[in-house]
Amino acid sequence: MSVSVEQLLQQNAARLWRAREAGSSAAVPAGLPTGYAALDRCLPGAGWPRQGLIEILSDQRGIGELRLLLPALAALCRDEGAAGEGYPPPRPDHAGSAHVGSAHVGSAQPPHNRGSGGWIAWVSPPYRPYAPSLAAWGIDVGRVLVVNGAGATEWAMDQALRSESCSAVLGWSNPRDLHALRRLQLAAEASRSLAVLYRPLQAGLTPSPAVLRLALLGGGAEGLQVRIVKSRGGRPATVNLGH
Amino acid sequence: MRACEEAVHAAGVREGMSINAALALVPGLHALARDARRERQLLEAVAQRGVRFTPRVSLEPPDGVLLDVRGSLRLFGGARRLCLRLQQELLEAVGVSVHFAITPSPLAALWFARTGPLGAHPVLVRNRDELASRLALLPLDCTRWPERCIETLGNMGVRTVGDCLRLPRDGFARRFGQELLATLDRATGRLQEPRAAYVASERFAARRDLEPEIADTARLGLALAPLLEELCQFLRERGRGVQAIEVQLRHRAAPVTRVRLRFVQPVGAQPRHMAQLLRERLAQLVLPQPVRNVRLLSGPLIDLQADAIELFAHDRRESGGNLPQLVERLRARLGNDAVHGLACVPEHRPEAAWRAVEPVAAKPRSRKKPSSRSAAPNESSPSVPRPLRGKSSAARPGEGRPLWLLDRPEPCDVDRLVLEEGPECIESGWWDGHDVARDYYVARNAQGARLWVFRNRRETAAGARWFLHGWFA
Repeated sequence: MSVSVEQLLQQNAARLWRAREAGSSAAVPAGLPTGYAALDRCLPGAGWPRQGLIEILSDQRGIGELRLLLPALAALCRDEGAAGEGYPPPRPDHAGSAHVGSAHVGSAQPPHNRGSGGWIAWVSPPYRPYAPSLAAWGIDVGRVLVVNGAGATEWAMDQALRSESCSAVLGWSNPRDLHALRRLQLAAEASRSLAVLYRPLQAGLTPSPAVLRLALLGGGAEGLQVRIVKSRGGRPATVNLGH
Repeated sequence: MRACEEAVHAAGVREGMSINAALALVPGLHALARDARRERQLLEAVAQRGVRFTPRVSLEPPDGVLLDVRGSLRLFGGARRLCLRLQQELLEAVGVSVHFAITPSPLAALWFARTGPLGAHPVLVRNRDELASRLALLPLDCTRWPERCIETLGNMGVRTVGDCLRLPRDGFARRFGQELLATLDRATGRLQEPRAAYVASERFAARRDLEPEIADTARLGLALAPLLEELCQFLRERGRGVQAIEVQLRHRAAPVTRVRLRFVQPVGAQPRHMAQLLRERLAQLVLPQPVRNVRLLSGPLIDLQADAIELFAHDRRESGGNLPQLVERLRARLGNDAVHGLACVPEHRPEAAWRAVEPVAAKPRSRKKPSSRSAAPNESSPSVPRPLRGKSSAARPGEGRPLWLLDRPEPCDVDRLVLEEGPECIESGWWDGHDVARDYYVARNAQGARLWVFRNRRETAAGARWFLHGWFA
């Protein structure tokens, strides 16, 4: 019995799932392009997963934790008529702008998949989402719903996800029990909304049912670093998004 | 005397007799006081069975129930079969026998039913043309007109409906009033008659004894499945939904454990959806004791809107159609102020350049393509004039503004920050007493975060001169 591992792998290629190849497999549904080409390349669906919970782990404010999402949110706000156009580059209001996602303009998405006109729910944000700035990013502020969830953030997110009236639901909370997370993940899986939960970095040490977990690190000369901690169908990676 | 058994009737007791007269005829008579409430309950019980055959049911107290079965005849295989089935169900569920009559006008059906035979052999009048001639044979009692009128008519030799119909209309109206003439017209179908629909105020309740007792919540979920299935069958029959259900878990000694589920929108017959939610809730539960029996109760039944069916879920989200319910639900638990929308305000002071608004679903926007990058991306927000600027690179309102704004600027230590851009001078608001005179800077801290800080141009009482006002998140 001197069959090498490689041989075995090749014999059973059809029946084997290999994590390394998952990124290119057709089984992962196309995601919502993030607007950052470098990040899209590392995500299995070439964008934010449309179903399932996304966790963004970060301890610092002001390092780009919202900028990461805004191009995708802006895309959700745009009309279907603009579906084929792709993203305008992220706002160049400061020097050293993020990598422009021009390579990926949402070509893979059938237009009806875009939840234009849906609401964007912000559940228990740590500060005021500032309307003029959101508008400058292309977010339709008339479709922003701010919810102060005070202790019931997961519940409020769950409600928003299940109501199917939101194209994206963002929440700031750190659920202690796995159960609350699982419930959120279930709701996110069942809903067509983009579901994003912001948690502290520390939470990255405990398991989570989320389909995608990103840890954000600011500082340093290279700007925002996005570490993919977990990615269903993808694999860990670190992406540098600049300032 | 309202009603009596047949044997008593045979002894000569008639409706309307005084109780003493009846006792004189049948000395051992067992008299029961009339209970209007129970009569009404019985009537509603009959109506609830009727709802299974047609959605249009109307109560005719004290003893009538009208069903509009025109649309259901074919489904149930004709009038006679429908009556048979209804009678069977009534006997089983309510324990009553009823008089049936099926006619083109509701009032005529009532009149026929009052005189017709008991049981499932209906008086059947199919055509409106026949109606007058068939009605003609009915005694006037069935009309339940005032006693005095019937007596007067009887003295005139008018004893049947037919006799009445032969009287000159104007004379009849003058003598007995327009109202009586109108009832005649309604019975013969000359006048249409709208009826108040009976709306069942029913709820679902079912129980199941568990043998042996169940102590673990996962198995409890399984034990509840048949009850949920029953509930869904109940909802399906009525074409309605519930917004809340309650599960009561009864233990040997411990107080009842209640699990209440509330749905964002009325849920129709979706057993899997309910079971899933219930499983979630049960999983959180700590049972004080094993459960001996379970009860499933529904909240009030709610009409399902056509769009509560998930077929067009996407379209509904497009219009944000469920938002009012969502906002309602959130506010119910979190308080009224906890949920709001956003709007831009044309104003130079950063803290006044936005405001919280009632979240209202906007009309579907036009599908105009954004013509270029320089166009405002957001057609529905009010246009915002440019703020006074210093050397800021902002080219549009909102540019050069942070994504997070602090409600109250916090004093900060500027020595640890690197000022990258600025100053942008904002001096405004002298007219409302909240005037500001600030130099704003974009700063970076040691962790690489970008902050929006300002320096007060005037001396303030607080002493601190530098404040953090936002984060470029």
